[in-house]
Amino acid sequence: MKCLLCQRPIRIKPSLDWLLSWRAFSRPITCEACWQKFTPIDRRTACAGCGRAQPSPELCRDCQRWPPERRFHSVSLFAYNDAMQAYFQQYKFAGDYRLRRVFAESMQTAVAQQAADCVVVIPVTPATLTTRGFNQVSGWLADGTNPLCGLQTVARTKAVPQSKKTRAQRLLLTQPFALTRPAPRIYQQHVLLVDDIYTTGRTIRHAASLLLENGAKSVTGLTLAR
Amino acid sequence: MDKTQLYGRQLCLTPAQAGDCPVGVQQLPALKISGDWINCQRCGARLPRRDAQLPNDQYYCYACLTLGRVSTLVSLYHIPEPNEFTQLLHCCWTGQLTPLQSACAQRIQQAFENRQRHLLWAVTGAGKTEMLFPGLAWALAQGLRVAIASPRVDVCLELAPRLKAAFRGAPIAVLHGRDPEPYQYCQLTICTTHQLLRFRQAFDVLIIDEVDAFPFAANPRLYYAVEHAKKANGALLYLTATPSRELLRGVRRHQLTISYLPLRFHQHLLPTMTVSLMPAWAHLLKKGRLPSRLRRRLAEYERTGQRFLIFVPRVAQLAPVHDLLARAFPQMKGLNVHAADPQRLDKVQQMRDQRVQYLVTTTILERGVTLPGIDVIVLGADDATFSTAALVQIAGRVGRSRERPDGLVWLIAANYARTIKRAKRQIEQLNRKGRRIQREVPTVSAPHPH
Ligand SMILES: [Zn+2]
Ligand SMILES: [Zn+2]
Ligand SMILES: [Zn+2]
Repeated sequence: MKCLLCQRPIRIKPSLDWLLSWRAFSRPITCEACWQKFTPIDRRTACAGCGRAQPSPELCRDCQRWPPERRFHSVSLFAYNDAMQAYFQQYKFAGDYRLRRVFAESMQTAVAQQAADCVVVIPVTPATLTTRGFNQVSGWLADGTNPLCGLQTVARTKAVPQSKKTRAQRLLLTQPFALTRPAPRIYQQHVLLVDDIYTTGRTIRHAASLLLENGAKSVTGLTLAR
Repeated sequence: MDKTQLYGRQLCLTPAQAGDCPVGVQQLPALKISGDWINCQRCGARLPRRDAQLPNDQYYCYACLTLGRVSTLVSLYHIPEPNEFTQLLHCCWTGQLTPLQSACAQRIQQAFENRQRHLLWAVTGAGKTEMLFPGLAWALAQGLRVAIASPRVDVCLELAPRLKAAFRGAPIAVLHGRDPEPYQYCQLTICTTHQLLRFRQAFDVLIIDEVDAFPFAANPRLYYAVEHAKKANGALLYLTATPSRELLRGVRRHQLTISYLPLRFHQHLLPTMTVSLMPAWAHLLKKGRLPSRLRRRLAEYERTGQRFLIFVPRVAQLAPVHDLLARAFPQMKGLNVHAADPQRLDKVQQMRDQRVQYLVTTTILERGVTLPGIDVIVLGADDATFSTAALVQIAGRVGRSRERPDGLVWLIAANYARTIKRAKRQIEQLNRKGRRIQREVPTVSAPHPH
């Protein structure tokens, strides 16, 4: 068995606990060395607004600049470091769909922990779906397609890929999302909104305000990296 | 899209990107699916269907991702090579070949003319590039499309200016992953073997330089690339100092013809390897001591000022070995260097400028870096990091000058590994042929003045 990230063979030492537990053996996907390069964010001290790693949980500078919104906050699982950047390069941009398995378990566990009434995934544009062939977020959660109900992208945006825009350009974007028809059942619901990376927060906040305007009680953002 | 972009190539395009394709373009499937397997039509990989899956019953190849993804969402677009060169390259190289080199050069040209598959086994330091010039000049004058490919980017970077100087006229395409230039249709292409995957039946003459070098030997996919990048009746020339077992098997099965150049440019044999078994060397080193035989040798170097390289298997061993040497022999100045060392070029330059007497290193410095008159010691030569090819290349660092055409190649190992035996055998085999030539043609053996 090879590590999905570095292709080196992984040695497995089945523990006694496992041998006695009769559970199916879950095969490791990455080697220990590769996994160690990702930095989990301590959620007890992360920013209460955006989930960034910091020593104490008050609102960070970036979050203070946003208009206050008590019904939205976001959490992230890992810091966006070099290893994470390399991961996204390979998974999202080179399109190595196998790499969804690296974080599938982390993301699915986090979704379950949030125990929201409904889960909405940030969609990718139809054009991205035909070239990349998958939605990177639902790759972790399910089958990699855009979810059938929830959000859809609005056609006129995303002429330039997000990552090629400057911060100012990104913040100027108008609402890039619309609700799908039939509309998702979000009225008076606690919604979990899942995206891949929280950078400026603009994308996820756009989606969140759309959901709140349409009657959601609260929205929690969940991203893999911040 | 300009149609020359597709001459002899196979490019992955989505239906939208292919919208403006010129007429006469062939559209080929990028992947073929059969049963539980998918077959990549670009790199030849055969992958389990389950691993190669995308949503919505689509599939992709994860074996050749670095060249842009091949998937069922794209097709390969191709125009058969028309050899449409408006301006031919001509040779303006005026250098001289030794009689032995020109015999080899003739053999190469003959292989091109007869569209053969040929292996030239030439010792390191034989002057391989120059021997290509007559054959290349012939092929280019015929209007043939030619490529020189190597698994190593640094070989491509080193070859490009030499060929640009030797062949003037039209531009030469240089393709590699390190800093990609836009592709241009050219009569002569220099590229990494990996880039060959983007070509389809393009080359009348295809030369693979340094075939032995990693990762080519280990990667059967690149043999696939070579076969598909050349025309069905194209000539294929492998150049190597240490042929892999696969290539030699090809020779035995008459799939390849072979010729040898067993003497170096100064007409001398390769230095032979001395092997010493010292099972405790690593243990001694940990305790801060040097094996006594090594110690005596180094003391002699300290006295004579003889310059040398010490190879160690791991980067982590560089500093301890260097520290030990510096403490035991404070008179001698040295440096340690590894492949990913940011100061590598500077350190190698200090060695070339004779500002330091030795280097402790893990890497076979770049090709073209010659350190005349050095000795080489390999600590842990039985370690798996030193392949047979690597050991032969390391030995080839020695005896590169007319003034000192031999020197010490000393392998220190815990046991007599198969890689060491094979490396010794390869060198002996070449030297046997070399001695025969020295006897047959006494004029070229040019005995050393002393
Ligand atoms: Zn790994
Ligand atoms: Zn914040
Ligand atoms: Zn492939």
